[in-house]
Amino acid sequence: MIQLTFSLLVGFALLVILYFFVRGGKVSAEGSAQQLREARQTLDSLQFSLLPNDLVHRIFAKEDLEYVRRAAPSQVQSLFLSERKDISLAWVRRVRGAILGLMRFHRGHARLYAQLNLSTELLLAFNFVRLLTVCRLLEIALYVRGPYAAPGMVRTVAVAAGKVCTISEKSLVFLKANQIDPLRNDPSRHGASV
Amino acid sequence: MAFSTNYTNVDQAADDLRRRSLAHMAAPLERMIYLGSTRDYNTGLYYHDGLASRFSEMVACQALANCHREAYQQVLQSSIEDLVRQLDSYIQSTNSAPRDFIAAWKNLQPYRVAVPAETDPLAAEFLCSNFKIALSIWEAHQHDRSRQPLDASPPQ
Repeated sequence: MIQLTFSLLVGFALLVILYFFVRGGKVSAEGSAQQLREARQTLDSLQFSLLPNDLVHRIFAKEDLEYVRRAAPSQVQSLFLSERKDISLAWVRRVRGAILGLMRFHRGHARLYAQLNLSTELLLAFNFVRLLTVCRLLEIALYVRGPYAAPGMVRTVAVAAGKVCTISEKSLVFLKANQIDPLRNDPSRHGASV
Repeated sequence: MAFSTNYTNVDQAADDLRRRSLAHMAAPLERMIYLGSTRDYNTGLYYHDGLASRFSEMVACQALANCHREAYQQVLQSSIEDLVRQLDSYIQSTNSAPRDFIAAWKNLQPYRVAVPAETDPLAAEFLCSNFKIALSIWEAHQHDRSRQPLDASPPQ
């Protein structure tokens, strides 16, 4: 009997804590318009920091390598490979930086929204981790074996980065510009989503 | 550069610019260099007397900026082979001595200032890297061309 009473009291106490937790969450979920506007601007700038697909394709285009091998002396071929290596490393570091920024941003601003979907959040977390790992592996491959070492991984990173951005945007749909600032609702700005 | 200009006028001015001044420039590289040169480096504003007299200074500025970005994107999307071809055509159009041109472009790197404002730094760096490579290839080809008549001449 004592055990039953004790269990009921603990259960009731947990319910009370849960009630205040949920109530507290609702209050912070409202967020200020200023916070939401800043969050939207951060998301926009993160998406903009990823290069468009056609430019990524241009950086890793095999036709340039073939042309340089065919038409240029050996010292120019070395210059070409070294220049492309620098650019490709800068690109993969930027994608990694953007993903880390998006992850931090997501953690920081998702609390502004009370109705987050658990499965979307888990999918997003999985994609963040997978993408960061692939980015690091690609960085090593580009550094060791040059810019044309892993075309498959480049495609994977480009596609996965775009996917993460889309999922993140869907998850944070409450930051849609038309709900905050109609002047900033320009879909053409999102063309740069790798 | 945030003007509240009438978009229809800007489009008309840009079309006018494409039909008149830019129609004589076949290569995007030529257009990019020309449009970059119409910009005041102190203010970042573009000037074109003819266009400004037909429209307004602000509309002309916006139209020039739009065409500049367009040409820049085209150069950015060019393959190295195409860029070498454009460079060759541009050098011929300037009537300057190839050796002087190469020396000036390698030292001064004028293509760096021909990049439009507010462009992605990595994309701009990629463009400059492509120019460096294309210049080296063009120089190597030039060197080969200048050696060919000597090699072809009969031994004395």
